Amino acid sequence: MIAFEHVGKRYGGRFEALANIDFGVARGEMVFFTGHSGAGKSSLLRLIMRLEQPSRGRVMVAGHDIARLHASQVPFYRRQIGVVFQDHQLLFDRSVFHNVALPLEIQGVEPRESARRVRAALDKVGLLHREKALPIELSGGEQQRIGIARAVVNKPALLLADEPTGNLDPQLSADIMALFEDFNRIGTTLMIASHDLALIARLRHRTLRLRDGRLVADERAT
Amino acid sequence: MTQIPPSQRGARSHKTRLSSRLRAWARHHRVMLVDSAWRLVRHPLGNLLTMLAIAIALVLPAALWLTLDSARLLDAELEESATLTVYLAQEVDEMQANRIEQAVQAQPEVAATRLISAEEGMAEFQQALGLDDALVGLADNPLPASIVVHPASPEPAAMQRLSQVLSELNGVDDVRLDLAWIERLRHLAELGRRLALALAVLFGLGVLLVVGNTIRLAVESRRREIEVVMLIGATHAFVRRPFLYSGAWYGVGGGLLALGLLTLGNHWLSLPVSALAASYGASFSLPQLDLAGSTILLSCSTLLGWLGAWLAVGRHLSSIRSR
Repeated sequence: MIAFEHVGKRYGGRFEALANIDFGVARGEMVFFTGHSGAGKSSLLRLIMRLEQPSRGRVMVAGHDIARLHASQVPFYRRQIGVVFQDHQLLFDRSVFHNVALPLEIQGVEPRESARRVRAALDKVGLLHREKALPIELSGGEQQRIGIARAVVNKPALLLADEPTGNLDPQLSADIMALFEDFNRIGTTLMIASHDLALIARLRHRTLRLRDGRLVADERAT
Repeated sequence: MTQIPPSQRGARSHKTRLSSRLRAWARHHRVMLVDSAWRLVRHPLGNLLTMLAIAIALVLPAALWLTLDSARLLDAELEESATLTVYLAQEVDEMQANRIEQAVQAQPEVAATRLISAEEGMAEFQQALGLDDALVGLADNPLPASIVVHPASPEPAAMQRLSQVLSELNGVDDVRLDLAWIERLRHLAELGRRLALALAVLFGLGVLLVVGNTIRLAVESRRREIEVVMLIGATHAFVRRPFLYSGAWYGVGGGLLALGLLTLGNHWLSLPVSALAASYGASFSLPQLDLAGSTILLSCSTLLGWLGAWLAVGRHLSSIRSR
């Protein structure tokens, strides 16, 4: 599904965020990235989303070198990837329902079909009863779940998450991870960046460790 | 994920997608048309001021154009009254005069003629000057007979040619045509037209700047929203659309206000203008913008609003993308 081939990323010519990253993720896998902040977790996700281009090497997704996508194809590429952001990236001037509906609106899904899928996604994250609320009225954990609902509403084959439990207490974090495992069970490929080592250890999934922009360990689940 | 580059999709699914994509596209246009109007209505004062600025920028060239248009009507009227006067030699008697008139009339470039005998000329002269008795003392009538010629074409070059031909006829002493004022009027009209065009271009640029600046602020205030939708796969066209409609609405509003201002100005000026015209014995009223003119003004302002928004959003999209 995803293959990094000797990928390097420099910013401003000097700072090396990633160096010689080489790994693959199979379809249906659930993979964690760990590492201290600045180790390159976010850069890696940004490369997959094609928010950035590698300075060296190739990033292959579904057999295609995504650097070769034309700028006009990038939006259509991004639509096939669900992304959960650490800071949610919700729009505070519209309701929960309309936040979750945003990807479908962008894709031009017919409104009735869109409403059905939004409610299904909200139901999945257990917040169907808050659809009319504004994001500001929700707790941090609830906002994160809205972000997840938005990421999965168009049933992406690949789900990326950047520190999805960053600001949550252990119980809420565990709930969110359980949610991710549910998606993984129905075939979604997941790549989750997290520094919550204790939680990751408990979940027993493949874990890639980054340090100073280098891949230092690739631990398969046992 | 096998379908990642759009070109890799199967032909059939591509086809069904095309029609639904077209429907979705039309739906988004509809939604944005209404949404952008609502956004304007929600901040009536600021947006009204923007529209007023656009209207003022449009009124000046439009008013000048209208004035020129009416001047052109006047010009045509004057050209119609352009005539040549053929003065016959003193010794030409009445029968010869009639023959000369027939010869003149036979010219293909002559539309109509009128013979003024020496006596009639004298009478007209006296009447025009209000000197009923002063000339009675003259023993001989000093005026020659003359023929007033209405040319088929009021074109100065044609009249010049005609005057040449007529002056070579037997018994013709002199041919007078006063082209200078027609020429002057033409130059003046041309000057006005160019001035109006230059003003229209300048003020059109002004409209672009006004709309562009307003839209720039709107983009800035929705920057986060733009960043988020681009993260989750919005195309540039999708992001641009609401702002283009806002720009077009500004144009529509500004155009309508401009039409209102022109009507108001017309009412304000029509009384003194017709009084002035009446004092010259002419009937002249300020021209109204007709339906075609109004449509042109409104389309131009809408187009300018749209274009201003397009330029502003295009510039800002690239700055957002590069972050």
